[in-house]
Amino acid sequence: MLTLTLLFTNFCDLTIDLFLHYFQRVALLVSSDIDALCACKILQALFHCDQVQYTLVPVTGWQDLGTAFLEHKEQFRCFVLINCGANVDLLETLQPEEDSIFFICDTHRPVDVVNVYNDTQVKLMIKQDDDLGVPSYDDIFRDEEEEGGDDSGNESDGGSEPSGKRRRYDEGEVERRIERQRATREWEARRREILFDYEQYEYHGTSAAMVIFELAWVLTKDTKDMLWWAIIGLTDQWVHDKITHMKYVTDIATLQRHVSRHNHRNEDEDNSLSIDCMRISFEYDLRLALYQHWSLFESICNSSYTSCNFKLWSMHGQKKLQEFLADMGLPLKQVKQKFNSMDMSVKENLREVIEESSNKYGMKDIRIQTFGVHFGFKNHFLASDVVHATASLLESTEKDDSPGDNFIKALDCLSRSNLERLHGGIDLAKKKLMAIQQTVASCICTNLILSQGPFLYCYLLEGTPDVKLFSKPMALTLLCKYLLKAFVRSTRNKRCKLLPLIIAAPMDVEKRTVIVLGIPPESETSDKKNFFGRAFEKAAESTSSRTLHDHFDTSIIELKMEDRTKFLDALITLLS
Amino acid sequence: MFCEKAIEIIRELHRMGDGQLPAFNEDGIRQVLEEMKALYEQNQSDVNEAKSEGKSELIPTIKFRHCCLLRNQRCIAAYLYDRLLRIRTLRWEYGSVLPTNIRFHMCAEELEWFNQYKKSLATFMRSLGGEEGLDITQDMKPPKSLYIEVRCLKDHGEFEIDDGTIILLKKNSQHFLPRWKCEQLIRQGVLEHIMS
Repeated sequence: MLTLTLLFTNFCDLTIDLFLHYFQRVALLVSSDIDALCACKILQALFHCDQVQYTLVPVTGWQDLGTAFLEHKEQFRCFVLINCGANVDLLETLQPEEDSIFFICDTHRPVDVVNVYNDTQVKLMIKQDDDLGVPSYDDIFRDEEEEGGDDSGNESDGGSEPSGKRRRYDEGEVERRIERQRATREWEARRREILFDYEQYEYHGTSAAMVIFELAWVLTKDTKDMLWWAIIGLTDQWVHDKITHMKYVTDIATLQRHVSRHNHRNEDEDNSLSIDCMRISFEYDLRLALYQHWSLFESICNSSYTSCNFKLWSMHGQKKLQEFLADMGLPLKQVKQKFNSMDMSVKENLREVIEESSNKYGMKDIRIQTFGVHFGFKNHFLASDVVHATASLLESTEKDDSPGDNFIKALDCLSRSNLERLHGGIDLAKKKLMAIQQTVASCICTNLILSQGPFLYCYLLEGTPDVKLFSKPMALTLLCKYLLKAFVRSTRNKRCKLLPLIIAAPMDVEKRTVIVLGIPPESETSDKKNFFGRAFEKAAESTSSRTLHDHFDTSIIELKMEDRTKFLDALITLLS
Repeated sequence: MFCEKAIEIIRELHRMGDGQLPAFNEDGIRQVLEEMKALYEQNQSDVNEAKSEGKSELIPTIKFRHCCLLRNQRCIAAYLYDRLLRIRTLRWEYGSVLPTNIRFHMCAEELEWFNQYKKSLATFMRSLGGEEGLDITQDMKPPKSLYIEVRCLKDHGEFEIDDGTIILLKKNSQHFLPRWKCEQLIRQGVLEHIMS
């Protein structure tokens, strides 16, 4: 049996029970991504259990975080930050009072070294087996008293001796000082190197929702709802390609143990639960986005895995798809109608049939391990369905929605009682996926992706249809990843297949800014580590471009349209 | 036709359903009172005439005018009483301090009545529940939990709760607060109770 102990680093064993004794009230600052929303829901449920008073404030970036902190620092001593704050020196940025404490549950890595080694004010919520790779204390920090002590000792010794001997001591002292200075310079050079290596690549750790679920489990206050939210948090990391496949599979196994534990009662025939109760089940299901809420045909056309493998932007690809469907014996009429209305005979072994045919067409991983939830007769959702729906609600570009409104809507749709909202989200997600598919098709067909040497570059012009959707980071990330996969499939240039991709799209038409984001190269064994954060910072500095590094992911920035060309040139020089 | 004005002011009050308090119709009441005064004076003179000169044919007219007077009296009494009932529910809804726009709708006597009612209610509440008294205007329905989750619908600024701490109520922020503190604001529409 595995022991899953939750370690709060900085060697402090504070749990939620102690929250109540030390602090009356807590401020929850939550970032705007699905994993954070799920973690927030679990934490809220825990707080309700223990009647801890809290205030929930959504934050979209560093500026928002700063403003929220300033507004609330008078009234709160305890702050919980979800999916924000770990990768920057928090105390330096926020300048809090001595008695403020921050609990950070953030998937962003690398964690800033000051945050790791701070004993009093910053508490990181990280699982024990999540290796941070933090450099050791002595390599980065140095007590300055060491140098002063040596000198004063020698001077006092030298001063009490007669003059003859003193000259000798003086020479010795000068030599020692030169030696010390050389050692210091060496130490500092090594320190810079270590920090550079540590902070160069940005990646993500275990899902925040899973960490907080573990906390709930340790407190034996976990419920199926919380487990479902943890599953959605993990699936979000997979959908938006933040973690490696290995990590995803490992985390799925962890959650599978919890699911079995919760499903224990279902297996008892005599006392089984009513159909209206929530059941979570492990599914080895198809990698087709939203296919149970759409038609099979639409889902195949708009999922990045199938679309890239068939190359559906070309006529040839369309023909292959028709062959594929024929090979499985699925009539077109069936496949193009709503999934729920398909004949039972067709739906029966659908997954196995599709898997068999996909193997013939070179798609070995059409099925992926995931979870689904049932409640009532009508309601069946896969975790990825909920992720897509919530992401579309969170980044909805309807006219009257402010980021705060979207956050509230997305948070609501995670509750089981708000099914209409979830269905609304699914509809928006369908539109988003279709828009992504069409944009990818047009970019590939019009050769909009150009190689700039060390990286590929794509710029979405202002008149592109649905370009408003892509002014949001998550939607743009999905588009970017999909685009890179499609490009790697369609290009013949072997070198270009190994390059990372930078995409830029108009963000705010009035302020004339673009959103720029970079993703690492596409490969089977990619470790998803992204170096663009540092690269963007350096390029912006060297050309004094007007950039805003507001997003918690450092590889996403906002840039003034006019500075685009010089920024790109600087990047090219930097990365060559 | 007599008594039409009286019916008009009652209809006006009836139209504003749902416990809302329209402005006090000073004008209407004054007109009705004037009508009543005119009728009374006419009746007075006719009665004297009938008594002194024995004109019994005036009696139906006197009876008719008397009926009108009673009718008017009944209408005005109903109007005033209904308003008082509405003002009483306002105390239970809004607490002891009424919003200024509602106070403008009340006449001076109604305000006086409201203050007296407040005092009576306060004395009664103090007499219950031992030393500190019991606030019976809270928890009109049995509460399910001590704390509830609320969402802020508009910017309300700072809000103080029992232990002195101040909460900033900003649009779209969510809070987990003691139920009794939130009830007022929920009724006013500043906060929304979230049930998940």
